[in-house]
Amino acid sequence: MMKKVGEVVLLWLLILFIQIAAGEGYSPPGKPTNISCRSPEKETFTCWWQPGSDGGLPTTYALYYRKEGSERVFECPDYKTAGKNSCFFSKNVTSIWVNYNITVVATNSMGNTFSNPVDIDVVYIVKPNPPEEVVVNVTEDKDWPFLQVSWKPPKMADTRSGWITLIYEVRLKLENENKWEELSAGQRKIFKIYSLRSGGTYDVQVRCKPDHGFWSEWSPTTRVKVPEYLPQERSMWILIVVFAAFILIICIWMIYMNFHSVKHYLLPPVPGPKIKGIDKQLLKSGKSEDIFSSLVVSNFPPTTSNYEDFLVQYLEVYVPEERELIMDEGKDLQDDSFKTENSTCDNDSGRGSCDSHTLLIDKGGGDKEDGQQTDQEGSQAEAEAKSHEEVMEKEHLACCHENAQIPNISKEKEKVKSWPSLFSPLPQYSLSPVNRPNKPKMGNQHCLSDGLFTPNSLSSYFTQPGPSTTKSFRSNYWECSLDHKQSHLLHPQTAAHEHLQAENDLNVAYVDYMGAPLDVHELSVRPTEYVEVQRVSDEDVVLLHPVTPSHENSYTISHQTEDYSRVRMVNNNNGLLLLQRDDIEEEKNMCPYEEEMVSRATSTGCRASVTSTLPNSATGINTALPILDEKAASGYVDTATMFGLPTY
Amino acid sequence: MTTTSVVQWGLWALLLWPQHLAASIPLDCRDDQGNLSRCTSISQEKLLDRVIHHAELIYRVSEELSSLFEELFIPFSFRLQSNQAAYSCITKALPIPSSKSEVQQISDKWLLHSVLMLVQSWIEPLVYLQMTMERYDHAPDMLLNKTKWVSEKLSSLEQGVVVLIKKMLDENTLATGYGEQGIVQNDVQPEVLESVMRDYTLLSCFKKDAHKMETFLKLLKCRQTDKYNCA
Repeated sequence: MMKKVGEVVLLWLLILFIQIAAGEGYSPPGKPTNISCRSPEKETFTCWWQPGSDGGLPTTYALYYRKEGSERVFECPDYKTAGKNSCFFSKNVTSIWVNYNITVVATNSMGNTFSNPVDIDVVYIVKPNPPEEVVVNVTEDKDWPFLQVSWKPPKMADTRSGWITLIYEVRLKLENENKWEELSAGQRKIFKIYSLRSGGTYDVQVRCKPDHGFWSEWSPTTRVKVPEYLPQERSMWILIVVFAAFILIICIWMIYMNFHSVKHYLLPPVPGPKIKGIDKQLLKSGKSEDIFSSLVVSNFPPTTSNYEDFLVQYLEVYVPEERELIMDEGKDLQDDSFKTENSTCDNDSGRGSCDSHTLLIDKGGGDKEDGQQTDQEGSQAEAEAKSHEEVMEKEHLACCHENAQIPNISKEKEKVKSWPSLFSPLPQYSLSPVNRPNKPKMGNQHCLSDGLFTPNSLSSYFTQPGPSTTKSFRSNYWECSLDHKQSHLLHPQTAAHEHLQAENDLNVAYVDYMGAPLDVHELSVRPTEYVEVQRVSDEDVVLLHPVTPSHENSYTISHQTEDYSRVRMVNNNNGLLLLQRDDIEEEKNMCPYEEEMVSRATSTGCRASVTSTLPNSATGINTALPILDEKAASGYVDTATMFGLPTY
Repeated sequence: MTTTSVVQWGLWALLLWPQHLAASIPLDCRDDQGNLSRCTSISQEKLLDRVIHHAELIYRVSEELSSLFEELFIPFSFRLQSNQAAYSCITKALPIPSSKSEVQQISDKWLLHSVLMLVQSWIEPLVYLQMTMERYDHAPDMLLNKTKWVSEKLSSLEQGVVVLIKKMLDENTLATGYGEQGIVQNDVQPEVLESVMRDYTLLSCFKKDAHKMETFLKLLKCRQTDKYNCA
């Protein structure tokens, strides 16, 4: 019994062992998977599968297919051509537009395994070969190079007959980049690429696809190098920059050369002052004293407070030959407010100009002057104006000598602004300055008077019009004596002053004198004056007092009208020396003044003569005033009676 | 193009009313002056080119149509592989060459006739497809437009092939037969899924047949130009 059990157990163990031994390495094959088929030209196709485990035993694979509409099963005709685990379907067995049902069976000694069936249609599994003979050319096109890519379709694909229609695709990249740029080329076999990097190296590839299938693989890379074409641009830019810089330099240079004219055009200069004697530089310096000092050419403006000196022109005192005339004249003139006109006034003289109204000198008398002049010239010592006007004019002329030109009566005419009515024209002498001051302009100093004119008397005359005038008058007389030495009577004044004063004096004298004939005023009694005393007060105000005869018509005129006496000088006592008319005649002989510059000599000479004649004249004169007979003489103030008379 | 062809059709119907059963449908041909006249002047090569161009376009649009429909209405599990045709097509019964070797062996005449058969067999299904597309919910306009366009283009392709046959083969063939193939069954309302799958199959089969037409015509062209080197 025991033996039987043991045998059974051994048998079982043996069987079990065998079974185990058998089961370890051997099993039916695994299922084939991933069946894929491809056709390169739509005429043949190949299928591949993935075998499963083989089960330890040699396994064989078989592919069976079935066409649509038929149950007949065929086996793969060719297992070898396409390699392992593949099946190649040749043309003969390939049908297009027909569904294939393909199954792969793995078989080994243990069994066989079927794969999942796969349905395919050859049309839809076409994947051609890559294009062949890819050629890339670099083509120069007007310095802008481009690439021309050309290729041929794969040999196996029958595109010529139209069996397959392929579309192509090109891609390129720079050799050191990673990203490709893909460009579609359609059905063409030539493609151009523009916009290349200068001097770059490109890689080009091509692939194709049927209109109903898969893309082919990329063709092998073709490498090409693009030539440099950019540097030409750079050189052009450099040229442009250099040219522009050159032009800029030229423009700057031109502006620099014409800078002043441009500046003058844009910013025109401000015109400067054009006053004679004014110096712009002094203006800039800002010192008014300097400025005005330059203007002080002929005692202007007055630097002293003695503005009395400032003034009026000389008055001629004519010893009237025609009293009537004079008197008449005087009337008229007085009516005219004793204004005469010098047509020949000099602008630069600095005299209280003949034209100035302040002197109350009217230009209306210019005509008269002319007449006077002619007469004077022609006539003898006495410029006898047949008309009052003439007379007066002469006087004025005499008054107004200014310059050395004085000897000419005509010239003196110029600014004779004086009391035309007051004075009778003195012929030659009238025009000659009595005392020439040092300054040539003083020419007209006709302030010599034949008679003395006491300042007091004068003052008395002038008191009424105003104290100021009196003084001024006085000062005028001082001036009249003009000059220098004699100028003890005179203040050393500027010529202008002397002028003025002389005139004033004369005027005064005339006034007084004229008062009688003209019934205007009387010298002695009335301080009525026609004197226009321009007196420059301390405030630089020139005061003129046209003395209206109406106020004070002195009737001493009767006395006075007789003669116009010249006021030759004013003594230091402010006496006005009046030259009586007769004497005047002498004087004129004695002191030809013509054309003599202001000189002391002449004056002295004249003086001398005057003095010499004084006694004569004095006697002849009823005036209490001493009369200096002087020859200088521009203006003659015929104040003989005037000053003499005032002693009434 | 349809309206002009209709006008042409009407004109010819008037002119040739006793011959209204005559096969040929005149093409819309205009001479150089642009006057509408009898189409006699177009050359065979030009006509063939135009026909081929038509076929290419039809195939391209049908491919788009099929893929669009598949995306919209077909679940993943039921989608056919791109190389699959699950269901049999309506045209499987037609004697159409199915390989290049077969194609090389048949004559031009048979090629043309094959094309004509294909074209004519698809005219009605496409009309049916047009109708069914509108039944789908949320069907995009593009789907409907493409279907309509394909249908129209197919009609004009048929006309061209007919003229081509007349020119090349001197044959007069009939136009589309009326009710030759009763594929469409309008009376039965299938289930939703089934109808969807059927439409999907229709579109796939049409896509394939369009490709057939295109290929045949191109082969024909090659034969015309270079007989000995063509396949």
